[in-house]
Amino acid sequence: MNVKICLIGKGIVGTSFLQLLNEKKQFFKQRFNLEFIVNSIFEIDGALINEKGIDLKEILDVGDDFRNLPYWRRDVKAVDLISKLGVDICIETTPTNPNTGEPGLSHIIEALNNHIDVISSNKGPFYLEYNKIKKLAEQNKCYVKYEATVASCVPSLRIKEALIGNEILSIKAILNGTSNYILSRMTAEGVNFPLALKEAQELGYAESDPTLDINGYDAAGKLVILANELLGWSKSINDVKVEGISKITPHAIELAKPDGFVIKHLAMAEKDELSVEPRLIDKYSPLNISGNLNVVKLETKYAGPIILMGRGAGGFEAASAIINDLIDITRKKGYSP
Amino acid sequence: MINLEVKIPDTPGSLIELIRPISKYGGNIYGILHFHDRKLNNMIPVNISFELSEEVQEVSLQNIKKELKEKNIQIENINYGIEKNLITIILTGHVFDTDVMDTIKRLASKNINVLELQAKFTELEEVSNVKLRIEFPEDMNKKELNNELRKICEEKKLFLITS
Repeated sequence: MNVKICLIGKGIVGTSFLQLLNEKKQFFKQRFNLEFIVNSIFEIDGALINEKGIDLKEILDVGDDFRNLPYWRRDVKAVDLISKLGVDICIETTPTNPNTGEPGLSHIIEALNNHIDVISSNKGPFYLEYNKIKKLAEQNKCYVKYEATVASCVPSLRIKEALIGNEILSIKAILNGTSNYILSRMTAEGVNFPLALKEAQELGYAESDPTLDINGYDAAGKLVILANELLGWSKSINDVKVEGISKITPHAIELAKPDGFVIKHLAMAEKDELSVEPRLIDKYSPLNISGNLNVVKLETKYAGPIILMGRGAGGFEAASAIINDLIDITRKKGYSP
Repeated sequence: MINLEVKIPDTPGSLIELIRPISKYGGNIYGILHFHDRKLNNMIPVNISFELSEEVQEVSLQNIKKELKEKNIQIENINYGIEKNLITIILTGHVFDTDVMDTIKRLASKNINVLELQAKFTELEEVSNVKLRIEFPEDMNKKELNNELRKICEEKKLFLITS
């Protein structure tokens, strides 16, 4: 069975997705009897379009010179063409705009309006307009999958299906690797916040503008998605009480230690309230993770706490989550066993 | 507060074997009663009281029980004592310049009592960091407590971290 895909965004995640898709060609054929045909790849300034299917090896080999390929079309926009390409699934991997969710939100809406299933690694649309997207998907009988938006390839959204015989009561999590790395370094080395941030930037664990990470906004967006998906809430990012980590001092961390506490940037969903803030937690708590990992602790009614942990960011990490969603949709649609 | 009643063999080092797993899993030991005069069949009753942090209590207690069993230490009884509502907080800011006694008194007026205070600061002009161990009434939930704390912190521009 052939499944036609358009990819919007050829950044780190988009390119990693193409690489995985190419590597796993035989696996998809043998295991699921599927062939994925990418017939379009959109960038901000145009698109590669080949209705018979783009040669993924060629795209990966040319790297950043893809605009020199004969099927590059300048100045075309994804939102104008999605409906005309005969695709089954649209994969949206453009960067998050934290204020508007655009252009990702428009891509998702256009796809759903044209009965095209959607997979996204772009979280902005989901923490700004979760209900709108879900309603549209339901109305148009489409699937919308976004596992890669929260903790990357850690299955923190699809766990809901695995826990169908249980009930998730509350969520506590560390959802931002940058702020966790910084706090880990401050705890381990006693350095102050500015120095720990500089180190994180030099190692590539923090952006040159780390505001969204250190002020808790990135974690807040992911928490909204988790709470809406796992707890059945209807929240947006405006409902989250957010406090960043820049005021945490080495002395505060030292004061916490003798009582067996560490300071972590926790994202919490409990009793209908959402918050992202520094908290004192027991050093033996499974939430006390180091470095740039993510962890999600679900308190469940019948089985107590369930913990998920892993790398929360990265090209291949997110791409593998997209592949999971892809297989999931093909199964639900009956394209594959 | 958890009170464990056990029986341990009357041999050198057996008390240490009892204490070790409790300490390993974060137990803060408050007291040990060793009833040597009630020895029977070479086994001595011991009562040990300790605290575990609420968040890890269930898992830690399971692990402690498992390790004691592996060491052939008989657990006769486990009691969960009346728990005081205790919380640790850290304030960062000009805690002393904004009249720390006023902060403590205002909390006390809501029956929120500061039991311990520990401070760290370097230069006089710099912010100070103060850890407070607080006891709050049984009929006050954590949300209400946090609201009271945040009210004062917002007014005095203090950065609050709670447990």
